[in-house]
Amino acid sequence: MDYIILSVTILAIGIVGLVTKHDLIKMLIAIEMITAAATMNFVVFGSLMENSLGQAFSILALSVDACVTAVALALAIAIYKKLNIRDVRDLSEITETSSDKETQTVEEDQK
Amino acid sequence: MWLETVLAIGMVTSAVFAIYLKETVSSVLSLSTMMILLAVLYFNLNAPFAAIFQLALGTGTAAIFLLAGDSLTKKSDLKTSSKTKFVGLIVSAVLCVPVIVGTVATASLSASLDLSISSAIWEFRAIDVLAQGLVVLTAALGVVILLKEERRRK
Repeated sequence: MDYIILSVTILAIGIVGLVTKHDLIKMLIAIEMITAAATMNFVVFGSLMENSLGQAFSILALSVDACVTAVALALAIAIYKKLNIRDVRDLSEITETSSDKETQTVEEDQK
Repeated sequence: MWLETVLAIGMVTSAVFAIYLKETVSSVLSLSTMMILLAVLYFNLNAPFAAIFQLALGTGTAAIFLLAGDSLTKKSDLKTSSKTKFVGLIVSAVLCVPVIVGTVATASLSASLDLSISSAIWEFRAIDVLAQGLVVLTAALGVVILLKEERRRK
């Protein structure tokens, strides 16, 4: 039970970071934290039941986590190079502006 | 018991630092500290393979990726509002408190299989490992395509 509380605490810190931080790299750090908390449960339960399947699953989960980080970081770098943006709020503003422009052009075409 | 307590306190402290430190490099260092402590916890739980993978992938690779990402991009100076912080606390409480309050029935899971780590990976979950290879290759291809697209535009 103590390990579950530790895992949930780290999960909570990760979720708070994911919601409150708007920097792409900080959000990635929060995602890393959340996945570490989730992976911890595999090892803890596997160890408590004296089963090595938990370790096997944690190894698979860690590899997928590294892939997710690599792809997310490549996306962040691509966004930065194209739009010069690292803040998520700026990105959502740009998306809203472009969608407004699209609706305006559709309305003009209809007229 | 004292080692586990020290590790837990260290992990939570470094996790908080990783989120709330202003400099990204310091945040990445705090995250790496948390991952190293997690690896020590795995060693303590008699899970050496998971600990070594945690050190190699969770600590080393993730830190290199994040530091590379930080050095390739420039940070903006916008600040987080207190409303957003409050929403974050509420969301995490809603998601996490039920898990702490509720009881976890581990007894029903106790019908375990007696497997070694190698047979668990290469025999019992062989299809997962193959699918994992596909995922890694797809991710590598995705990263190459994303970064090559930028070069073409330039």
